[in-house]
Amino acid sequence: MSKKLVIDPVTRIEGHGKVTIHLDDNNQVVDAKLHVVEFRGFEKFIQGHPYWEAPMLLQRICGICFVSHHLCGAKALDDIVGVGYSTHTPMLPTAEKMRRLGHYGQQLQSHVTAYFYLIVPEMLFGMDAPPEQRNVLGLVEADPDLVKRVVALRKWGQEVIKAVLGKRMHGISSVPGGVNQNLSLAARDRLLNGDEGLISIDQVIEFAQDGLNLFYDFHEKNREQVDSFADVPALNMCLVDDDGNVDYYHGKMRIMDKDKNIVREFDYHDYLDHFSEATEEWSYMKFPFLKDLGREKGSVRVGPLGRVNVTKSYSDSTPLAKAALARFHEYTNGKANDMTLHTNWARAIEILHSAELIKELLQDPDLQKEQLILSHDDSAWTGEGIGVVEAPRGTLLHHYRANKEGNITFANLVVATTQNNTVMNRSVRSVAEDYLGGNAEITEGMMNAIEVSIRAYDPCLSCATHAAGQMPLVVSVLDAKGNLLNEFTR
Amino acid sequence: MNSPDNHLATRLADYNNADSLIYGIGNIGRQDDGLGWAFIDWLEEEAVCPKAELTRHYQLHLEDADRISYKKKVLFVDASKSASLRHFQLEDVKPKMDFSFTSHAISVESILATCKTCFDTTPQVQFLTIKGYQWELQLGLTAKAKQNLQYATEYFRQHINGGVTYEQT
Repeated sequence: MSKKLVIDPVTRIEGHGKVTIHLDDNNQVVDAKLHVVEFRGFEKFIQGHPYWEAPMLLQRICGICFVSHHLCGAKALDDIVGVGYSTHTPMLPTAEKMRRLGHYGQQLQSHVTAYFYLIVPEMLFGMDAPPEQRNVLGLVEADPDLVKRVVALRKWGQEVIKAVLGKRMHGISSVPGGVNQNLSLAARDRLLNGDEGLISIDQVIEFAQDGLNLFYDFHEKNREQVDSFADVPALNMCLVDDDGNVDYYHGKMRIMDKDKNIVREFDYHDYLDHFSEATEEWSYMKFPFLKDLGREKGSVRVGPLGRVNVTKSYSDSTPLAKAALARFHEYTNGKANDMTLHTNWARAIEILHSAELIKELLQDPDLQKEQLILSHDDSAWTGEGIGVVEAPRGTLLHHYRANKEGNITFANLVVATTQNNTVMNRSVRSVAEDYLGGNAEITEGMMNAIEVSIRAYDPCLSCATHAAGQMPLVVSVLDAKGNLLNEFTR
Repeated sequence: MNSPDNHLATRLADYNNADSLIYGIGNIGRQDDGLGWAFIDWLEEEAVCPKAELTRHYQLHLEDADRISYKKKVLFVDASKSASLRHFQLEDVKPKMDFSFTSHAISVESILATCKTCFDTTPQVQFLTIKGYQWELQLGLTAKAKQNLQYATEYFRQHINGGVTYEQT
């Protein structure tokens, strides 16, 4: 009897999704899908609001990567008022560096959450470990000193965000043409040197390196499992600077193939000329792809793995991350890396990279300068703007139009999780075939393997559909007629 | 209300010092989920516990274990959906790792257990839960939630004014 297996919703991701796996009479996988069952709403209800409210309102899509949404919206507003990159008028140095500081602080904080809270427990205890153990609270009991360091890292990242945006969550920094404040010397020194209850930047870098070493140890002990787990193809995409290396805040969009040939490179304002989006009736999340290559060959991977695949090297000013990236590239002999669990390796490298970038910025006196906003007059108004940044989970795009009265008439958001939709589905299918196929009994560990394949992308389904949800887990096994064969909840 | 199990620190005056933290949990954009913040609003408006650290946040995070490790007394305040709760409840919290963690939520008990395990300290923690009814994307408490908030604040107000035992309603 053929069966349909449902994981609903998938746990330890942001938002509400479910997985269905269809098995035939021999328990072989015939189909596997990641469904996103939240409905998007933010793009609609922002319409009619004053344009300057967009970066403040739309950051509330997410409690994790709100700085990315804020900055992406701010870049779009720069376009709308006629300043910034689209008019070849660079931001004032203090403004751009303050934006970058908040951005890197959030990347550090977001990656630390995903890596240490959600992924490291599985690395240390194994995918087959009981759910109550492969959990950060299991980590508290097993290694409290590690948890103390993780808490200190996240807290430090939040302090960076607070220093730039005024609040730990949903603060405001960017305004059209610049930022509303610089970084005080006191705040700078506190982040550099630490304070009561706050570690120093050098400790942040040390702890980040320790986190990367955790992956090395895990990989050494589980090389075959890690390397064979969801090894699935996709093009790789991120924003790059003039040297072809990732720029998390601004750059050209570059797409590379397995052999690291440049498949496409373009100004992100031309995104719609290159990409189309497919839809499926079984998911609210769309499937973007390069128009001329089609959906199968033209889908991209974004986020940590996509970025380290595209990037040639990091700057000499981030030496530890640069060495870590070189080691990563050596592992696949310079080819792009399609191994899904290596996303966690890439994420750990980016935690270190973020920390070193922040250290470099904190030592830059431009952050204390007073010139914060590019002046602009009404004649520069364009009424349309596109912003793109590399959010922790990957390339994020905000596109707004506003009427003459300054009210938003159109908004479109393409988030990283949406970009990764196809490759995530490929990963689910791959793991389903490897772990479930042919087995008559489905175990908790098998089900978790499916979730691990999704969690590697750290998907934010709330962002992708712009809604919020709760996350109990119900696993149901149904036969081909939809009859319930088995169900459990955790 | 559901009667407090004991009176470890039911007088808010006991929280009126720098070693205390009163922490409102919730989201004012989701109707009655704003009850935790509304309680903090009341403290500020009435200038109750001016020496305590007052804070509002959307949800608990693991680093809150670090945060409470610097305090002797902590009062968490949150809305509750519990069907068994009539108006509000004040209870003492014991450390307990209940493995409830997701990136969205972690229990007060687990925060305290993490504090004890990682930071070698166990502050006195109480948890005030106030019954809410509606949770949609909308500003403002429902009338019934406002009434429950009033019951809770009145309970504490009477204790401020001389430790009167609040009658069960």
